[in-house]
Amino acid sequence: MKLLEIKNLRKSFSDKKVLDGVNLEIEKGEISSIFGFSGEGKSTVLKIICGILKQDGGEVFIKEKIINDTESYKRRTPLVMDEPLLFPNMNVIENIEFALKLNKNRKNHEYAKKSEDRANKFYSPQEIMELLGITGLEKRYPHEISMGQAQRVSLARALMVNPDIILMDEPFSNLDIISKVKVRKLIKDINKELNVSILLVTHDIEDVMNLSDKMFILNEGKIQDSGCPKDVLKKPSSIDTAFLIGTENILEGVISETRLSDNLMKIKVQVNGESESESVNNKQLHNELKLNDYAKINHCKENNYSNNDYCENNYNIINSEIVIEADFNTNFETGERIYLAVRPEDIMILREDRSMSAGVKENRFTGKIVSSIFTSRMMEIIVESKENLKFKILIPFHAYEVMNLYEGKTVNISLKKSSIHLIKKKNNFKK
Amino acid sequence: MHLNKNRVFDIIVYIISFLFFTTLILLLSGIFFQTSLHLFLKELKDAGLWRSVLLSFKLSFIVILVNLIIGIPVAYILSFKKSKISFLLDIISTLPLTTSPLVIGFAVLITMGALNPIGKFFIDRGIKFVFTPQGIVLVQLIISFPFFVNIVKTSFDSINRKMIDLSKTLGASSFDILFKIIIPLAYNGIIAGLAMSWSRSIGEYAATQMVSGVIPGITETAPIEVFVKTSYGNYPAAIAISGILMIISLFSLGIFKYFNYKTGIQSSNG
Repeated sequence: MKLLEIKNLRKSFSDKKVLDGVNLEIEKGEISSIFGFSGEGKSTVLKIICGILKQDGGEVFIKEKIINDTESYKRRTPLVMDEPLLFPNMNVIENIEFALKLNKNRKNHEYAKKSEDRANKFYSPQEIMELLGITGLEKRYPHEISMGQAQRVSLARALMVNPDIILMDEPFSNLDIISKVKVRKLIKDINKELNVSILLVTHDIEDVMNLSDKMFILNEGKIQDSGCPKDVLKKPSSIDTAFLIGTENILEGVISETRLSDNLMKIKVQVNGESESESVNNKQLHNELKLNDYAKINHCKENNYSNNDYCENNYNIINSEIVIEADFNTNFETGERIYLAVRPEDIMILREDRSMSAGVKENRFTGKIVSSIFTSRMMEIIVESKENLKFKILIPFHAYEVMNLYEGKTVNISLKKSSIHLIKKKNNFKK
Repeated sequence: MHLNKNRVFDIIVYIISFLFFTTLILLLSGIFFQTSLHLFLKELKDAGLWRSVLLSFKLSFIVILVNLIIGIPVAYILSFKKSKISFLLDIISTLPLTTSPLVIGFAVLITMGALNPIGKFFIDRGIKFVFTPQGIVLVQLIISFPFFVNIVKTSFDSINRKMIDLSKTLGASSFDILFKIIIPLAYNGIIAGLAMSWSRSIGEYAATQMVSGVIPGITETAPIEVFVKTSYGNYPAAIAISGILMIISLFSLGIFKYFNYKTGIQSSNG
């Protein structure tokens, strides 16, 4: 049974269309997340589900019952926001028991206490507090506890509603990195222990990857893509999605040959300073700007700068064509214009001291390392090939050391056939 | 020599405030220098004086009770249901603040008179507002209401709207929200508003006089008594009542300032 279903949800504020036909479905017990940039209407979706806002059109179903006209307080869809928003006139335990003290919920809970049904098992405030690690704070007032604790109290307060689904609106955005990791784990725990369904809204892809069973990408008022976060991230179904989730190493090309027997597809990639692939690169840069990741911006700037130098000094290739091989895919046909993407961690840098295995023979390029940055986890390397193609590659630091890599070194890289992800080119592609 | 402009500024500001302050104190306390303590104490023993003071207390207590019952829902609309209609309501309910009390008293006198259909409606059912305590309650209510509503509205305005929205999703109905969240959080503002409207109503003269008819023991409130005694030339009695009224004002103002200050601290703490 579907827990939550949204059909063709529409909402405008004054003249601005925020939601333009959002559809999504959530199963019981799942953690789902809606991902998108700020101002794309993610919070609006949550506010409509819990009834704080009224939609202009479309339906919301909970447990297959339409709740369009149900008052907010009857919905059992508690909201947890970026601020804890605890009631300042009550201490911690009073805050948590707030829902219990309301008539409507009291009846609910008495029913839950009596019934043996595990799904409706009643958890006392003490049990919930213990689960969330906030035991001992009962008598404190909201201004006497830390932000991370307050956010957990706010979560406990939502759990006491005996919710159908908990809605979370950027619950981590005000937490420091340590509290963030803790609260993330807690959310996972309560999801497992209490079998509570959670719908999370976030602009942080880390939250999505760490927590959710299912993700929805909200862009331009619609759900652009959905599914298991790993699949969506690795294999975005459209170029827009790819840009949204920050997919790197995107190239543009035409399928020149398809061979089912050899499980092979050949893609001609035009390499041209003035070609469309340049605009893809630009959009990618723009996209990274939107992500507000200063490290990346600086990185790109440096990268571009050193590129120009590099081009002038070493190569004079303005127009050239290269062929990239990919696994056969029935969804594409010869002559079709497509995008292809390779994940930075899927590109191999070949070791000079070892003979090549079959895999590394695929899609080989020779190029020069134009930049290498140690991000907090991995080495981020940019390799510019002879054909003037740029590839971003992620490798562990120890590999970087073992292979004796450095900026300016010429290396051979290989793009495995199976790691090439093809994306359909839409005709209405917007610049 | 360099002129320190900041110091000059401070001196000017302090001198003006000080002059105003001393003038005010002298003016207000002046009445106490017109009588001897003996006469003053003698007048305090007068039963008529206390009757009028007690009446003022009784009526103003009813006024603030009605203020509380009507004022909180009105302040709720003004603060939480902002719209064109609430804007109009805001103007209408604040109007008595800027209108001469005499005009308000006069309006009530006319409207509630036997010649007016509204007045006739009530008089036919045995409810009189002219020359009765009810009439006094009515005008004092009109005059003190804006004080209460505005102070309560301000403290309602300082409540976090996101928190109110969130409490709805926790299962709180509008009743729950009002009684469990809004009123406890606006408690200081409500007390401050009550103190202010009480003090306004207990000291009200002009509008009250219009509808009171000055019937001793029934509609003769303390401020009216002051006027009556003065017109008879009985200054010591007038001074005694004035003194009591002034102490009451000081007391209620103290309550208002204390709670208003507390609200200020609370909202600045988040």
